[in-house]
Amino acid sequence: MPNNVIWTKNLKKSYPLIKSYRDLIRHPFQRNFIQALRGIDIAVPPQTCFCLVGPNGAGKTTLIKILTTLVLPNEGEAFILGHDVVREEALVKRLVGLAIAEERSFYWRLTGRQNLEFFAALYGFPHQEAKKRIEEVLELVGLTRDADKRFNTYSSGMRQLLGLARALLPEVEVIFVDEPTRSLDPQMAEKIRKFLRHELVDRQGKTVFWASHNLAEVEAYGQEVAIISKGKIQLQGRVKDLTDNGQRSLFEIYQQYVQPNGEELSGLNGRN
Amino acid sequence: MWTTRTLWLFFKRDLWEALSYKLNFLFSLFGILFSSATFYFISQLISGQSEVLSKYGGNYFSFVIIGLAFSGVLNIFQEGLPGIIRSAQLLGTLEALLITPTPMAVILLGSSLYPLVYSVLQSLVQIGLALVIFGLKLGTVNWLGAILLFGLTILTYMSIGILSASFILVFKLGNPFSWAFGSLSALFGGVFFPVAVLPGWLRWLSSLLPITYSLEGLRKSLLLSLPLEALWPEIKALLIFSFLLGPLSLFVFRVALKKAKKDGTLTHY
Ligand SMILES: Nc1ncnc2c1ncn2[C@@H]1O[C@H](COP(=O)(O)OP(=O)(O)OP(=O)(O)O)[C@@H](O)[C@H]1O
Ligand SMILES: [Mg+2]
Repeated sequence: MPNNVIWTKNLKKSYPLIKSYRDLIRHPFQRNFIQALRGIDIAVPPQTCFCLVGPNGAGKTTLIKILTTLVLPNEGEAFILGHDVVREEALVKRLVGLAIAEERSFYWRLTGRQNLEFFAALYGFPHQEAKKRIEEVLELVGLTRDADKRFNTYSSGMRQLLGLARALLPEVEVIFVDEPTRSLDPQMAEKIRKFLRHELVDRQGKTVFWASHNLAEVEAYGQEVAIISKGKIQLQGRVKDLTDNGQRSLFEIYQQYVQPNGEELSGLNGRN
Repeated sequence: MWTTRTLWLFFKRDLWEALSYKLNFLFSLFGILFSSATFYFISQLISGQSEVLSKYGGNYFSFVIIGLAFSGVLNIFQEGLPGIIRSAQLLGTLEALLITPTPMAVILLGSSLYPLVYSVLQSLVQIGLALVIFGLKLGTVNWLGAILLFGLTILTYMSIGILSASFILVFKLGNPFSWAFGSLSALFGGVFFPVAVLPGWLRWLSSLLPITYSLEGLRKSLLLSLPLEALWPEIKALLIFSFLLGPLSLFVFRVALKKAKKDGTLTHY
C-alpha cells in the first residue's frame, strides 16, 4: 500500500432494491440487493494513467463513486494517498477531482461560465483567481467561445467537456474521469486523451483514473489497465506487458476475461 | 474561506434559475392580489361580530392578512429548500456539490438564501398591497419586536426545511412530512382564524406548532402596538424551537446524507 495513490482491499458494495408495495406486504422484512462490487482489490502507483474497462453494469462507476466519497462501501477499505475514503472524507475530497459520466450535472439556465464560477467558489477560489482558472480550463476544453451560452443550449459533447473543465478546476492529485470521451467528436476526443495522458500524467505528474469502453484509447494512452467484470477485478497489469508491446490486442485479452452474454446486467441480482 | 461570496453565488444561481421563469413572478403577484381581495370581501361580512376577534382589534381583514403574509414563509421553506435538493438530485448537481470541500452546512445555508429572500419579499408585497389597495390599518408598529419575531420564525422554518430536505434525500419522492406539517399549520396555526376558537384539545395541538407563536407575536407587534415585554412568551417559544430544531435538523440531514450515500440515492437512479 505505501507507495500507491489509490489502494483498495476487498471492497464490496450492494445497493438495496426499491421494493414494490406487493413485495412489502408479502415479505416485509426481506430486502433485496444488487451486488455491484464483490471484493475489489486494486493498487494504482503514482503518476499513472490507470484505465478501468469492463462491460455495462460491471461496477466501474460504483468504484469511482466510492473512491470519490459519493457512495459508501459495505465492506473493505479504500485509500487515496493513504487516506481512508470513509473516515477521512473531508481530506479525500481535497485530493480528488471527478468528471461525472452524467452530462446533466449543471444548472441548466446558467451559462457555462456562470456554472464554473459557482463551482470555483465552492472549491474555495477567491474571485480573481477563479476568473483566471476558469479561462484556463475553458481554453483547454475548447469552450471559450461558447462559455457565455446557457448550459441548456449545449450539445452533449459540450456538456461533457464542461464537466471535464469543472473536474480540472481544483488543484488535485488524482483525477477520476468516467468515460470522458463518450460523446466527443474524433478530434476533440483525441485532444482530451492527449491532455489526460501527456499533460496531466506525464508533465504534471498526476494520477488519472479513467473508466472507458474504448479499448483502442486504452491501448494508446493507458499505462495500467484493469478489467472488471461481475463486480470483480479479473486482471490488472501494465498495458505494454499484457499486450506484449502491441503483439496482442487488448480486445483479445478482454474477450478472454469477459463473457459476452450480457450476464452483468441481469445475473447479479442477489438476495441478502 | 467560505466567504459571503460563496453564499452570494448560491443566491445568484437560484435567482438566475428563477428569473428564467419570469411568468412565475407575475402569477404569484396575481395570487397574492386575488387572495387578498377574497379575504377583503369575506371580512366585510364578519368583522366586528366576533368576541375573539376583538382581541386582535376587531378587524378580520387585518387579522387574516398577517396570517397569509407570514405563513407564506412557511410554505417557501417547506417547498423551497427540499425543492432545490430534489432538483439537484434529479439533475445530478448534488453529487457535483458534495464532491467539493465546501461543508454541508454552507451548502444548506446557501441553498436556503434565495427561498428566504423571496419569502420576505412576498410577505412585504402582501402587506404593502393590503395597505395601499385594501386600506389595511396597522397599529403603532413595534419594529424591534416584529423583526425579532420574524428572524426567529425564519430560523425555525429553515430547520424545518432542512428536515424536510433530509426526507427527500433518502426517499427521493413524496414528502408526507412536509405535507402533514403544512396542512396542520394552516389549519391549527392561527392563519385564518384565532386559535382561541378551537376546542381545548385542539388548542393543545396548535401550541406545538411554531407558526402559532410567530403569528400571535407578529399580530401583537404589528396590529396591537404592544411593547417588547408583551411579546416575550412568543419570543421565548420561538427561541426554544430554533434552539431545538436547528441542531436537530443538521444532525438529521447528516444521517440522511449518509443513508443516501449507502443506498446510492444521491442521484436519481
Ligand atoms: N444508485 C444505484 N442504485 C441501485 N443500483 C445501482 C445504483 N448504481 C448502480 N447500480 C447497479 O450496480 C451495478 C453496477 O453499476 P455501475 O454503474 O457501477 O456500472 P458501470 O460499470 O459503470 O456500467 P456502465 O459501463 O454501463 O457505465 C449495476 O447492476 C447497476 O444496476
Ligand atoms: Mg458507468
